[in-house]
Amino acid sequence: MNVDFILYIAINTLVVLAIAPLFVSMIKKVKAWTQGRSGPSVFQTYASLRKLLTKEVIYSPSSSRIMRITPLITIASILVAALFVPLIFVPEPVGGIGNIILFLYLLALARFFMALAGLDAGSSFGGMGSSREMSISAIIEPTTIIVFAALAFVFKTLNIFDMVSRMAPGLPAAPTLILISISLFIILIVETSRIPIDNPETHLELTMIHEGMILEQSGRNLALMELAAAVKLTVLMGLLINLIVPLGLATSLTLIGILIAVILFVIKGSILAGIIAIFESSMAKKRFFQLPSLFAMAFFFSTLIIIIEVFS
Amino acid sequence: MIDTSTIEGIIRILFVGIIITAAYIISTRNLLSVVSVYAVQSLTLVFIALALYSLEGSLVLLAIAIITFFSKVLIIPYFITTIQERIRIKRDIEFHFLNPTTSLLISMVLMLVIYMVLSRIMQGTPARESLFFFGAVLGISLMLMGMMVTFSRKRVITKALGFLSMENGVLLFGLFVTELPFIIEFLIIIDLIILVLLTTILSVGIDSTLEDYHQRLHRFHLWEEPGEDS
Repeated sequence: MNVDFILYIAINTLVVLAIAPLFVSMIKKVKAWTQGRSGPSVFQTYASLRKLLTKEVIYSPSSSRIMRITPLITIASILVAALFVPLIFVPEPVGGIGNIILFLYLLALARFFMALAGLDAGSSFGGMGSSREMSISAIIEPTTIIVFAALAFVFKTLNIFDMVSRMAPGLPAAPTLILISISLFIILIVETSRIPIDNPETHLELTMIHEGMILEQSGRNLALMELAAAVKLTVLMGLLINLIVPLGLATSLTLIGILIAVILFVIKGSILAGIIAIFESSMAKKRFFQLPSLFAMAFFFSTLIIIIEVFS
Repeated sequence: MIDTSTIEGIIRILFVGIIITAAYIISTRNLLSVVSVYAVQSLTLVFIALALYSLEGSLVLLAIAIITFFSKVLIIPYFITTIQERIRIKRDIEFHFLNPTTSLLISMVLMLVIYMVLSRIMQGTPARESLFFFGAVLGISLMLMGMMVTFSRKRVITKALGFLSMENGVLLFGLFVTELPFIIEFLIIIDLIILVLLTTILSVGIDSTLEDYHQRLHRFHLWEEPGEDS
C-alpha cells in the first residue's frame, strides 16, 4: 500500500461523508419544488444529523446486543464499500479494494444487520419492515448480479477502479452505456429505498420498509443509520456518474485536480439528484406485488447488454 | 458531409431508443403514455430512415421518413388520443396469459433466439457483420414483441397499439434488409390508418346490430350530432 492509496482512503471517505447529506437534501428540495413548496434548506440534513448526534440513545428493554452494534457495523461496511467507488480520484487499485463482487457483499452485510436490528427490538413494525426488505432484496438480487455481470462483461474487468479510469481492456460504446445507465438507475432506486419501492418520507405503518427497520433507533445510533443511508445513496450515484461521465475525475494527486474534481462531482451529482427527484415525483409508490415488473426492466436491459457483448 | 462512422454510431443509439420504447409498451399499464411512447418510437424510426438516407442517398428512404412522420407520429397518435379521451379509459390492467413481467422475460428470450437464427442464416454473407444485421434482428424482435402485446392485452385499444408497434418492426426490418418499392410502403401506411380507424370505432360495437351500434355510439359519446348536448 503506497502513500497515494492512503491519501485516497482519507480523501474519498471525507468527501463522501461531506457530500452525502447535501445530495439527500437536494433531492428533498427538488421534490418540494415539484410540489409547489419551497422546501427545507439544502443544509437541513447536516443540521438534523448534528442534532441527532447530541441526543441520548434509548434502547428497548427487549433488545439485545445486535441493536447496539448494528449502527456501527452498518456505517462501517457502507464506508468501506464507499472506498470501492472512486468519487474524485482514482489511484492504482490495491488488494481486493474495488472488486465489484466484494462491493455487493458489503452492501448486503449492512442490509443484513439492518434487518436483524429491525427484528431485534421486538416492535411489530420493525419486523414487518425487515421482512419486506428481505423479500425485496431476494427478488432484486438476481437483477443486481446480472447488471453487475453486464458491467464486468462490457468493461472486461471486475475492478471498479479500472472501469471508471477507463483503463479497462474493453470500452463500451455509447448505446451500451445508455442501457447500463438505465439498469444502474433502477438498482439505485431500489437499493436506496426510494419512491416506487418505498417512500423515504413517510412513517405510515403499512407502507414503510426502510423506515420501519430503523424505527427503534434513536439518538446518535439513528444519526449513524441515516448517514449510512445517505452515504449509500452517494456511493451508488457516484458509481453511475463516474461510469457514464467520468469527465473531470483526477488520476494524479494534485490539489487543483482534486478541487476541480470535487466541484465537478458536486455538479454532476446535483443533476442526478434532480433527475431522481423528478423521477420520484412523476410516479406513485408501486404495490408490493407489482415491484418485480420494475426489476424485470433492469434485468431485461442488462441481459440485452450481455447478449450483445457475447454474440457480437 | 458527416462521417460514416458517426452516423452508424447515431443509428446504434437510435436502436437503443427503439428497444427502450418497446420494453415500455410491453410493460406499462398506463394507456395515455402508451400512445405517446408509440409516437416516440415512430419518431425514432423516422430518424433512422433519415440517418440511412444520409448514408445511402436513396430518395425512397427520405419519402418513407416523411410519410412515417405524418402518418405514425402525427395522425394515428392524434386519432387514438382523441378516441381515448372520449371513451375515458385510462389504464389497461387486464391481461390474458402473460403479465408484463413475464412478457419482458419472454421477449428477451425471443431476441436471443432471433439473434441466433439470423446469424445462422446470414453466415458468410457480408450483411452478417454490419449494422444491418442488428437492424434486422431488432425489426423481427419488435414485430414479435408487438404480437405479444396484441394477444396478451384485453383492451382493444392496446391491441391496436400492439399491432401498430408490430408494423413498426416490419418497417424497421424493411429499412435494413430488403428495399420494398415505395408504393408498397405507402399502401401499408394507408392500410394502417384505415385499420386504426376501423378498430377503434368498431371495437365499441362489433358484436351488435347496426341500430344497437348507433345507440352505443351515443352512449359512449363517440358520435354527437350537431347542436346536441352530451
